[in-house]
Amino acid sequence: MGCYPTHLTHLHGLPVHVFPVVEEEGHTPLPAPGSVAWKLTTEGEFPFDSLWRRFLDQVRTDQVTALVLGAWWDEWDENGIDPVLELLTAAAPRFPRLRAVFLGDVVSEESEISWIMQGEVTRVLRAWPGLRELGVRGADGLVIEPLRHDGLHTLRIESGGLPPDPVRALAACDFKALRHLDLWLGTTRYGGDCTREDIAPLLTTPAGCPELRHLGLRNSDIQDDIAAALAGAPVVAGLESLDLSMGVLSDDGGAALLAGRPLTHLRSLDLRHHFMGDELVERFRETLEPHGVSLALTPARRRSHLRDGPEARYVAVGE
Amino acid sequence: MSPSASDTRPRFAVVGNPENRRVTLFAEAVRAAGLPGPRIVSWQEILRDGGADFAAEETVRIDSPGENPEVDLLLRGTPDPTRVEGSARWYTHFMAALRSLRGGIRLDDPHEVAVLFDKRRCHAVLTAAGVPVPASPTSGPRAAAVRGWDDVRTLMREHRMPRLFVKPAHGSSASGVLAVESAGAGRIRATTSVELVPDGRLFNSLKVRRYEREQDIAAIVDALAPDGLHLERWLPKASQRGRAADLRVVVVDGRATHAVVRTSSSPLTNLHLGGSRGDLDEARQALEAAGARWSDVLAVCEQAAACFPRTLCVGVDLLPAVGWRRAAVGEVNAFGDLLPRLTGLPGSQAEGLDTYAAQVAAVLRRSLPAGQAASHHPHRTGTSHVSA
Repeated sequence: MGCYPTHLTHLHGLPVHVFPVVEEEGHTPLPAPGSVAWKLTTEGEFPFDSLWRRFLDQVRTDQVTALVLGAWWDEWDENGIDPVLELLTAAAPRFPRLRAVFLGDVVSEESEISWIMQGEVTRVLRAWPGLRELGVRGADGLVIEPLRHDGLHTLRIESGGLPPDPVRALAACDFKALRHLDLWLGTTRYGGDCTREDIAPLLTTPAGCPELRHLGLRNSDIQDDIAAALAGAPVVAGLESLDLSMGVLSDDGGAALLAGRPLTHLRSLDLRHHFMGDELVERFRETLEPHGVSLALTPARRRSHLRDGPEARYVAVGE
Repeated sequence: MSPSASDTRPRFAVVGNPENRRVTLFAEAVRAAGLPGPRIVSWQEILRDGGADFAAEETVRIDSPGENPEVDLLLRGTPDPTRVEGSARWYTHFMAALRSLRGGIRLDDPHEVAVLFDKRRCHAVLTAAGVPVPASPTSGPRAAAVRGWDDVRTLMREHRMPRLFVKPAHGSSASGVLAVESAGAGRIRATTSVELVPDGRLFNSLKVRRYEREQDIAAIVDALAPDGLHLERWLPKASQRGRAADLRVVVVDGRATHAVVRTSSSPLTNLHLGGSRGDLDEARQALEAAGARWSDVLAVCEQAAACFPRTLCVGVDLLPAVGWRRAAVGEVNAFGDLLPRLTGLPGSQAEGLDTYAAQVAAVLRRSLPAGQAASHHPHRTGTSHVSA
């Protein structure tokens, strides 16, 4: 089994608090509406719309700043997240202070990441021009409609397979304030079919995101190609941190990255779960540590299907 | 020490596989209580001789016939203990062996063991007693027959269960258990320790596998179905440090005495399949933070155990639902007390005692002369709730 994301404990600096899925007698009083990131989850068993209605009734939503969506389905998820996003965005006027949304905070016991049925998540951005942070787990059915949004500061998409269309659509977005972009690209086995050409526009049009300081392009089958593309990408010069972890980065990609544009200005470089040899890892240390770059270089756990057989290389999160 | 007429202390006999640590650990607990070591009666001789006799005053503990190839051959009828198929035959022969034990003061009850080793009947008994359990279409008065994968598919559709466990009715230790998940577009996956070999035979393996071709899943389920299948809804379990968690709670003489958290990166939490012990204090804090009460959790386990009033000790698998606020009983195990070195919960009367010492202590409490006994003797006076 690979590793898997865990439930969020915080969003936008606030602790996650689960709104009770069923009415409880004598339950502890609800926290102050602005003091927590509210999580709504059906636990896979209860209907979402009645949970949502109770939330609107019982919580002063005009004070809510962060919202986490766990499981929205009960029994089968036949329609994906879109009907739920319709409910949410229809109530947008009741959430004037909303700053952060996370869609799909579920773990593998609830749904494998590649089975989470996402939808057109950019409607959340259209509904809340003041949103600062958007997180999405799962990329099956994910649709990004190119748009301009001047508030978004952080965007992360965790997936076991991020298809090319949303990646290309992201490159066509205009996020003036975006500082933090984190994409888990995943594996072709679960729809992560991006090629170097699909990724390239993200790296060559930094004009759309002049403020970008953190870039994560990780958990990828084509981690070597991404590293090689980054070696010549202008976006790197503006970054403070770069994350190429969780993928199948080997000596090819590592060497290309090291031979490319300087990385010495970075505060941190995360290459965890790599498949590079000791020699190259040492060169990363020698080249970057004197400049104060904080390096994360823990290699992937080496696995082989057959004893003494060829090494099996997987991304950290697939399924 | 020779027993005198006035010696009212219990004398133990243990039925088990003598080389197994279950037997040696229990014998140690008996001796540690200052009692003479128990008489050990092996399953092998019982099966060979067609039964065994116990003295009227002997206190008889029954332990698992598992982990012994010769005994397994006699019960299952297959020379390969790693095969998955054959659990129905095993059940029939094991029940017959239990009935062949005569005399003694039993710490179990053959009728209750028969229910405990049939997941369908056990589920029905728990349901009837109001114990929270995952929904199952294969138990109770309107139980559906499962002749193979096609029937499983039909039940998944009719009962709207896209995620479920398929379990051999008489299996143990996760043998033959499949965690099945399905979604639109024909997606299906089964997570299991079953290894399907090309000729269609099934083997237990220590490796958890994932099958994603429906024909493979169908082949496994079709091969298991003749042994009887229990289907239950897969409730998403709570997690601890990113791993799915459940609890094994041992109930001795009606009281929850020992508890461990088991966590796993797969839906199967059994320790031999990569599960590991989690942190009980952390689990307790998590569920109390979520608004549940630890005492309620233990009460649910005791309520499940109370369905088997003539059985001194059971191991209850409690499944905390994702979020830790709710819980359901997954299984009740007749031989669920193998938790070496684990000591009892505070205030449980088993503090400082392992599961075996706790059972010996419970028997000693019962054997006190009338008037000195602190509690009644539910195992001798209670009426059986078993009716399924």
